[in-house]
Amino acid sequence: MLRNPYEVLGIKEGASEEEIKKAYRELVKKYHPDQYRDNPLAKLAEEKLREINEAYDYLMKNKSWSGGNSSSNNSQGYNSQSNDSYFNQVRININNGNIRTAEEMLNHSGKRTAEWFYLKGVVYLRKGWYNEAINHMQTAVNMDPGNYEYRNTLNSMINSNNAYRGQAAGRGYSREQDFCNLCQCLICTDCCCECMGSDFLTCC
Amino acid sequence: MTNASSGVSPWRFYPRKDNNLFGYILPYKPELKIKEYETYRAYYCGVCKSIKDRHGNIPRLSLTYDSAFLALLLSSISDEGIEIKIESCIAHPIKKRKIVKSNKILDYAADINIMLAYLNLLDKWKDEKAAISLTGMASLRRSFKKLTTQYPEKSGTILSRLNDLTALEGEKCPSLDQAAEPFAKLMEEVFTYEPLSRDQAVCQILKWIGYNLGKWIFLIDAFNDLESDIRKNSYNPLIYQYNYTNENIAEFKHRLKEDVEFNLIYTLNQIVKAYQLLNVRYNSGIVENIIYMGMLRKTETVLGCGGNCVEKSL
Repeated sequence: MLRNPYEVLGIKEGASEEEIKKAYRELVKKYHPDQYRDNPLAKLAEEKLREINEAYDYLMKNKSWSGGNSSSNNSQGYNSQSNDSYFNQVRININNGNIRTAEEMLNHSGKRTAEWFYLKGVVYLRKGWYNEAINHMQTAVNMDPGNYEYRNTLNSMINSNNAYRGQAAGRGYSREQDFCNLCQCLICTDCCCECMGSDFLTCC
Repeated sequence: MTNASSGVSPWRFYPRKDNNLFGYILPYKPELKIKEYETYRAYYCGVCKSIKDRHGNIPRLSLTYDSAFLALLLSSISDEGIEIKIESCIAHPIKKRKIVKSNKILDYAADINIMLAYLNLLDKWKDEKAAISLTGMASLRRSFKKLTTQYPEKSGTILSRLNDLTALEGEKCPSLDQAAEPFAKLMEEVFTYEPLSRDQAVCQILKWIGYNLGKWIFLIDAFNDLESDIRKNSYNPLIYQYNYTNENIAEFKHRLKEDVEFNLIYTLNQIVKAYQLLNVRYNSGIVENIIYMGMLRKTETVLGCGGNCVEKSL
């Protein structure tokens, strides 16, 4: 193993079993393949997760209280089978990262089925064309509302935005900044006035 | 570039409205620690000093917060330790400040700053024929020439992306994603900093951060300028993507707000996800402040709402 397992898990050396497990659980959540679905960095996230698993396994094995077993990650790809062999070929290309080939194949296909829109949406997502991606995904869902795969991908796109906002809020981000500024402003004015011998807010 | 020209204080939070693509990447001040604030400022001043040493005093006026972010992010994953010195400068002659001593990364950020500032002015000159752009260009031309020989490939790529951008503007490209592509690719190139990008994984991550950052800047700028572009009858991808037809501008903006918000936040989330894969050694607090909160704040300010804008009615 290359890196210090404690460093990998972001904890202090000599952390307790409880702390290791907690850190591990959080990291697994953070780098779970679901978080990086349709992301061009998915492979790197997978590696990161592997590193985390190794570090965790190492720590668990080398402690007297060993017994924890690492959860194995199973990477999710576009493994769902399609009835259409042409689209299957497209899926294989997407899985292998050959986005350009996949896109060309889709452009050459004359069919405009729900699956076509779905796969085109996935290709756009991987390219970073989010606006086209969500429009295509929405079309796929509208054309075939019962399809779990299409709906799931659309939902995960929408949910990822909520996740981002959640993280910001967790770090102390608040939308009411303007209000706070106003308070600060008033208090500052008050202090200044007091320095000059008068008062702006009589209560303080 | 003008947002920084009136002073070197990085705390002009929401730069005045002017149509240029730079100056959107800022920290979210309420959650920044004092020591982080000082470090951020030390980087900002460091890039400024570096511009002075490499290109002279006048080009310093073109300094942007975006270059400070570039220096900060690249330094955060670099082995090269940073040294801080305490100095005074023209902009703050009385009080001495902490400044990051110039190193390769700061020099790179300084060079990129000059290159983009020059090209931004060139673009403005073509668009508006404003004499002020010509004056600005004159002061940057020599430095720009020097940089094109120093970074032949990089400047070549950047120029060709800008040509793509101009071509799409000429065609009145109706797809937001397509219109954003050249600028996103340009920023991808900017973030591919050679010594660090030799590691393939790091290279891929930096590129994705750059790509998405470029996309975010392009889109937020398009939304920010929408009103004036409609008035001046200038090209703006949103006009064509959402078929603007003489409706009330406020209503039009409201109509597309939800989509724009989705795209902006999705892009930010991609930046965050890519960032999480880096092995960050220094200054994670500031970088995270910017990408988790500062840019979100900016997004919400430009969208003109304190939060989920979509729910608010007119």
